[in-house]
Amino acid sequence: MNMSDLSVRNTNDSMQRMTDAVLRAGGGSAAVLLIAPSPGDATDAGQLGLDAPNFQGLTLAPAIFRRTRPTMTQNQPATYELLISATAVAQQVSLLQLSSADALFSMVAAVNMGGLTLLIEEWACTVSLGTPMAYRLLLRASEPQSMTTDD
Amino acid sequence: MQNAKDTFYVALRNRLAILNPARQVEIRGVQRPAILVEEAEAPMKELPNDTFVLRWTAATALEDLPVRLMQLVCEVHYATSGSQPNAGLDRGRAMTEMDRELLDILTPMCAPKMSYTTTPATALATNVFWSEPQLAALETVRDQLLRVASIQVLAFDEPGEA
Repeated sequence: MNMSDLSVRNTNDSMQRMTDAVLRAGGGSAAVLLIAPSPGDATDAGQLGLDAPNFQGLTLAPAIFRRTRPTMTQNQPATYELLISATAVAQQVSLLQLSSADALFSMVAAVNMGGLTLLIEEWACTVSLGTPMAYRLLLRASEPQSMTTDD
Repeated sequence: MQNAKDTFYVALRNRLAILNPARQVEIRGVQRPAILVEEAEAPMKELPNDTFVLRWTAATALEDLPVRLMQLVCEVHYATSGSQPNAGLDRGRAMTEMDRELLDILTPMCAPKMSYTTTPATALATNVFWSEPQLAALETVRDQLLRVASIQVLAFDEPGEA
């Protein structure tokens, strides 16, 4: 959602650069978002889980990755928080010719952080003076998967 | 059993494409009829609107026949929030439209069983057949209407079938 500040003021990208600096200082990780390749698989096999999806890794940095404060509940997977630079997201949105960051995140099948596969539960945008600074993603650890297919 | 699931989905998908070509969804970069198998797609934060999502639940094997008869339960989840031009005020009509489309694509209640592990698909010896759908009560969550339809899908396990 674009909530621009329409007041007359001298704006520059200093807040965005400061946000990126904070993200680098706080961890400076890189998040790999797994998205479907383009063009996609339009075959029956692709829709029935027979073909490998060949997800592409989209690297976004800087990012901060941390575990959320745990609420001890039986059989609940661990949840994590990922803060990604809005400038990095905007760059990928432009490269992929998408309409918005929401469109990008809705395409993401999973997030890979240092070999750990995570699923996106929710995302939100941190905005300053109408300009996105960072995106906050709530992630959940995925269940273990077998190493081979069942064919 | 997997061939029965695949056949059921492909049959409904092809019928939906003919019945309402405008009902499409983009999944993994592909524009396709708005019907998908939940277990064959990446996990979703929430199920897409205006799309039929097939979820396989219970399975029963009937062994008293010469050939094992598998009885599978398929839940079809679908939801709508109406259209943007009507600001969602047509969501009731949109849900009725989806109800009608689901009933239409389920008729006739059988399809020749195919194996999609080969290209092109291979016809098998029996049919997949299913019951009338049981449409559950409509659930309203603020601006979204949701419904689940349950269908009993039956198919014989053919000798040598994987």
